Amino acid sequence: MVEFSLLELGELFVAVAVAGALGARLGLSVIPLYVVVGMFASPFVAGRLGLPYVLPGETLTLLAEVGIVLLLFFLGLEFSLDRLLAAKTNITRAGVIDIVINLPIGVVIGLALGWSFVEALLLGGIVYISSSAIITKSLIDLGWIANAESEPILGTLVFEDLVIAVYLAVVTSLVLGGDGLGSLARSLAIAFGFLGLLLVAVQYGTRFFSAVLDVQDPEPFVLRTLGVLIPIAGFALSIGVSEAVAAFFVGMGFSTTEHRERIERRLVGIRDVFAAIFFFWIGVNTDPRLVVAAAVPLAIAVVLTAPTKVISGYYGGQVYDLTPKRSLRVGLGLVSRGEFSLVIAALAAQGTGTVMTELIPAFAVGYVLVMSTLGTVLMGESDRVETLVFRTKTETAAAD
Amino acid sequence: MTVYESDLPGVGKKHEIELGDGSQLVIVTHNTGKREVFRRATPDADSEKLLELPDQLARQVGTILEGAYFQPVRSQSIETLLGGDTVIEWVEVPEGSDLDGTTLGEADLRQETGANVIVVQRGETTITNPGGDTELRAGDTLLAVGPREACQTFESLVTGE
Repeated sequence: MVEFSLLELGELFVAVAVAGALGARLGLSVIPLYVVVGMFASPFVAGRLGLPYVLPGETLTLLAEVGIVLLLFFLGLEFSLDRLLAAKTNITRAGVIDIVINLPIGVVIGLALGWSFVEALLLGGIVYISSSAIITKSLIDLGWIANAESEPILGTLVFEDLVIAVYLAVVTSLVLGGDGLGSLARSLAIAFGFLGLLLVAVQYGTRFFSAVLDVQDPEPFVLRTLGVLIPIAGFALSIGVSEAVAAFFVGMGFSTTEHRERIERRLVGIRDVFAAIFFFWIGVNTDPRLVVAAAVPLAIAVVLTAPTKVISGYYGGQVYDLTPKRSLRVGLGLVSRGEFSLVIAALAAQGTGTVMTELIPAFAVGYVLVMSTLGTVLMGESDRVETLVFRTKTETAAAD
Repeated sequence: MTVYESDLPGVGKKHEIELGDGSQLVIVTHNTGKREVFRRATPDADSEKLLELPDQLARQVGTILEGAYFQPVRSQSIETLLGGDTVIEWVEVPEGSDLDGTTLGEADLRQETGANVIVVQRGETTITNPGGDTELRAGDTLLAVGPREACQTFESLVTGE
């Protein structure tokens, strides 16, 4: 076992704190920066340069896992079935346009590279899922949040959140289920059996969730929330079910109680700490040389999937009756990929074969770095993109 | 005046208020409590951020705008939330008050003051539309509604001042 010491944890926090400060100064998202500092602190970079480095040991992996669980827990907490149902026609239409364009394109790229179906499906997920964290923050920073385009953007993100829960449940079984149709069927049955039970518990357990959290002091409140969340996620993982999806459902369970806002307020800091560890851990596990080796699939994916998101987002905006200009902004707004692509990559790393254990994680890191930067820049420079797109369009129209 | 409300998943809520001159006021209430106020000159324009307030300050500003602190002109055209001269008063039953232990019916506050008790708040419990047999206790907070003057009488009667 690789030892992970308090000193190394200290290095980690210094690194992510520096990354956070840098992000604030440069106006960049912190997620890719956490990954980058992780990469620098890894044996692959700092180690080769003879500097003190962080080894991705079991302890760090465990802390990163808590990060995944908390990320998905918050997603579930924010995810309201009622809200989805209230705006279901628009959200569903925009969401369906998004998924039928962006998921298959990733799968096709994977298959064209000669990957297996499961590997291609992982690639599909990585390029499909936009980053709720990065996009929401950009919306607020740019003031788009008060504009009409924010609704299709956030609506599409909600739809994606639901899809990613189902997707992770299936893909976890595919990756961890082992070989053979029989064992695959068994692991799928276990996954959906357990998640079904959990869903029933969530649906009818509002009173239980309320009662558990019915306490004044902040300390027992936080501990009880974690005392419900972590064991359920851990149990799910121990029987081969996605811990992330279990956490998502627990979040949904808590979202129907009157404690939702208090949980968000009290636990947001804990989530941010563990999420930072998760992104850092992703970086520490990434050999930059592998990212370079993944340059071909990376270039193909960027060139194809940036425009597809813009196009699907544009039509998503049209569903909401937005003007062409605002519809284009919906598309630009959805380009950033981030945390969930990395969650999928972390899952892939647990699989077998070099494509899953090395190529996909390295690809995902490179892809998230490019797409989060590109997405943020596209949003910031939307005025120029608009002029570019619409002038070209009028010229073509005039030429006809 | 039309106010549009919409959900911003993961962020909070958005309210759009038409100002009558074609422009709109947009208020984004974040789940964190922060309020951002924008103005949109035309329905199709980009929202321009006017200001940003933390929760507590936003509430104070809201109360000032509502006119609770100061009403410039007392006329028919300026109305409080309830309309006309009607106000809501919050009064706590003090320790050792004559009301401690009596029922609402016995106290007969409505006859005495003209204000009507609509809610009795007791710790975490809320008794809405309390009946005549509702017993009052020291420490209860009574919500009374009525004309301003009646509510003033009500307050001095309950507090015993």
